[in-house]
Amino acid sequence: MHHSNASALLGALLALAVLPAAQAASEPATPAAIHSRGAPPMTFADAGRVVRMRTLDNGMQVIVWPDHSIPAVVLYNWVRVGSRNESNGATGLAHFFEHMMFNGTTRHAQGEFDRLIEGNGGSNNAFTSQDVTVYQAWFPRSALETVLELESDRLANLAFDPQVVEKERQVVYSERRLRVEDSNPALLEEQLQATAFIAHPYRIPTIGWPSDIQSWTIDDLQGFYRTWYAPNHCTLVLAGDIEPEQAFRLVQRYYDPIPAGPETPRVKVQEPEQQGERRLTLERPGQNPLVMMAWHGISATDPRAPALNLLQTLLAGGDSSRLHRALVEQQQIAVDVGSGWSEGFDPSLYLVSATLPEGGSTEAFERALDAELERLLATGITPLELARAKNQESMQFWRGLATLDGKARMLGEYAVIHGDYRKLFTAPAAYDSVTAEQVLAVAREVFQKRHRTVGVLQPPAAAAGQ
Amino acid sequence: MRRLVVLAMSVLVTGAAGAAATPPAGAATDPNVHVPPAERTTLGNGLRVVLVPRHELPLLAFELVIRSGGQLDPPGREGTASLAADLLNHGAGKRDAFAFIDAVEGAGGSLDAGAGEETIRVRGQFLARDASLMLELLADAVQRPRLDAAEFANLRERHIEELKAAKDSEPQALLPAYGRALLFAGHPYGRESAGSEASLARITHEDVRRYVAESFGADRAILVIAGDFDPKAMKKAVQQSFGEWHKATRPLPPLPEPAHLRGRHVLLVDAPGSAQSYFWIGNVGVPRKYPQRAALQVANIAFGGSFGAMLNQALRVRAGLTYSASSNFGRATVSSDFAISSFTQTPRTADAIELTIATLDALHGTGLETARIDSARRYLLGQFPLAFETAGDWAHAFSELEYYGLPDTFYGQFGSDLLAANEAAVRTQVALRFPSSSDLAIVVIGDAAKIRESLGAFGPVTEMPLASPEFSAR
Repeated sequence: MHHSNASALLGALLALAVLPAAQAASEPATPAAIHSRGAPPMTFADAGRVVRMRTLDNGMQVIVWPDHSIPAVVLYNWVRVGSRNESNGATGLAHFFEHMMFNGTTRHAQGEFDRLIEGNGGSNNAFTSQDVTVYQAWFPRSALETVLELESDRLANLAFDPQVVEKERQVVYSERRLRVEDSNPALLEEQLQATAFIAHPYRIPTIGWPSDIQSWTIDDLQGFYRTWYAPNHCTLVLAGDIEPEQAFRLVQRYYDPIPAGPETPRVKVQEPEQQGERRLTLERPGQNPLVMMAWHGISATDPRAPALNLLQTLLAGGDSSRLHRALVEQQQIAVDVGSGWSEGFDPSLYLVSATLPEGGSTEAFERALDAELERLLATGITPLELARAKNQESMQFWRGLATLDGKARMLGEYAVIHGDYRKLFTAPAAYDSVTAEQVLAVAREVFQKRHRTVGVLQPPAAAAGQ
Repeated sequence: MRRLVVLAMSVLVTGAAGAAATPPAGAATDPNVHVPPAERTTLGNGLRVVLVPRHELPLLAFELVIRSGGQLDPPGREGTASLAADLLNHGAGKRDAFAFIDAVEGAGGSLDAGAGEETIRVRGQFLARDASLMLELLADAVQRPRLDAAEFANLRERHIEELKAAKDSEPQALLPAYGRALLFAGHPYGRESAGSEASLARITHEDVRRYVAESFGADRAILVIAGDFDPKAMKKAVQQSFGEWHKATRPLPPLPEPAHLRGRHVLLVDAPGSAQSYFWIGNVGVPRKYPQRAALQVANIAFGGSFGAMLNQALRVRAGLTYSASSNFGRATVSSDFAISSFTQTPRTADAIELTIATLDALHGTGLETARIDSARRYLLGQFPLAFETAGDWAHAFSELEYYGLPDTFYGQFGSDLLAANEAAVRTQVALRFPSSSDLAIVVIGDAAKIRESLGAFGPVTEMPLASPEFSAR
């Protein structure tokens, strides 16, 4: 991430189903007396009718969602490169690049990018994941041309000043210390990922291994830039106070001169099937024991993805979810239980993670979690649970639609991660049609003991007390 | 990418779908946000109600503010208000804890409460079709919370464990608790409203019951509802749901104006083995109703409130000492804190603090250049509208107006106020409201054995372990 001013999960951002009204799971339908007007409710398809896409001659995808509610525009440029495209000795390069993209071009000296954007009322940031690197800007309509000029410039003309590289190396190391080295949960997750994958590059921590952060060379950086940073590897999304045709004209003016890059190397390696549980322990000072379990799961485009997302919601989405209720509220064996997966190009991990009270037994927690998952597989899920999960998904969709940022993000996720932005507008039907049996089927597929990796962090004091 | 990230993205929470009316063509030159019309009423029991109809999406958002908060916690039992707030959605009215949260989440909604120094805030969002359910749940939560003994015991333990867990995972997030305890010692703002491990352990079930019985009441509360509803029907429903709420019985003590800190005071919080040192440098700032807020914000954006600001440029961009350095003025009824926050690798701790202080000196000395002031003003003008997109944004905005007694023009004229904040006005704020580097509370969380000696240069050092169950060394 370029800036640090906040953190929110990159997850939880997918577009969600629009469900028929009156599905409040545990409540009788409430009278609609306070509900406004008799107008038919907006549907997701209606909301998306104004969206337009164009592919430039150089291969860049441009998608525009016009919305004139405030005089502002949000830009997301999705570059199809992440830590998934890295290799041994050069981990963290995609993320380091995300930083370097703010550090000057042959036309604009270091610092000018931020100075010009902020001076025109805009703010910007970026993030890197296993699959993509995404550049974001939030700005008044009046700054659109400035932003496009700067965005296109850094795609074509990045500078590599050795002194700047050295300083940024320290900044990135500081980010690693903040996010990973001073955080027990992040350290454990890093180790878990590196243990669960032995062949596929999802084993690589996106921020990079420390020794790699310290040893990249300018040549590494330039090679990476030439390989990955080209318009044909980008999807540019604009949401806000602009008309599509006008937006396409402006984007073409700035991006047409940039030639397409060569075909990028494909990630061909597939993770071989795991054939037995793996375990790791981390010995670190701290107060609370941690347990994480990861199972090999599915990719974003797997047709079972909506079912897995609903499973995630009913397992750990909110205080009414199964795992929270059983392990935090009833048995009080954990302080916090979370669960989720990263929707990526390749099959990724489905993770359950828990923070235990000081002195808590990790073995007892594992037994309790196993029992809950076995109960799920044995007795299935209730219609009420499924309806609740669908309503929660639906609400998240509407909340995403409530902001320009949400619109730009959702369009990009569907265009890039799911392969077609129009899938965003069929997602509601996909979620709505998921049955309890399908949720259970994906749970059976994922929760196989032989496919899981268990990570445990036991602080020394707590270990001594057992 | 879902609910899990390796590198979380930062969000400048932008919202969209817009102001109630589409601005006319050419509105880009209008510096002001369009404030949607709101209907205000006060019920017979004193509850102030603000209704903000907006029909872009079938959503409802509410914010209910009770003037209460940590200032009313019994002595030594900080965290009482916070536990009371957390218990509100753990059983109320006819529903026990599970039935209550089932009702909220079953509808896809949310209803959460938290405590600050002065307030308890209950916030939530529901689909518009669930308006009646939302009012029923909210009315039960604040008027008929069950405050069940077993739920209390469970939540108290969880709050304690969450504080411990934060020490293992995000030491930076704890800096303000230590900083404010040092800066506002003896003042209500110096009492950590979340409580400490030690103070939470002292709180009894009876403390929480008494807190709610005495301090909750319609005459202390503001209810804002924004979103897709029929105002007439909503007004009637609010009267039905909240018209019988009693008044609070315990008087609110006055909040004294906190005294500015004189001299330097350093608190070293020892975190053996930590990879970085996290530091917080502050003094007393300004109250929420500070009349020169626009000029002050321009000054803060230029000094430490943006990527291009002096602090971030000095510590991150030029020196490569940190990933982030920023400053902020807190918001509260009487003067809250002004704080600078950053971090750096352990061996460079003193260098980074020295550079931070030198940057503060430069702000007072050579001062802000014209270009920097202009840029900060334009930045605020451009970013301000992005904070007012959703029903939830407006529910919060109107609750702020009501709670602090800010004029109606506060948000609607803020753009004009920014344009009127000329260079002289901004420089005046620097001189008046940014602390001198000779008067600073400095908190450092880091590996004491490696940095203890170097910190002596910044003032008298008090030391305590991160593992201590309290937030102050006393």
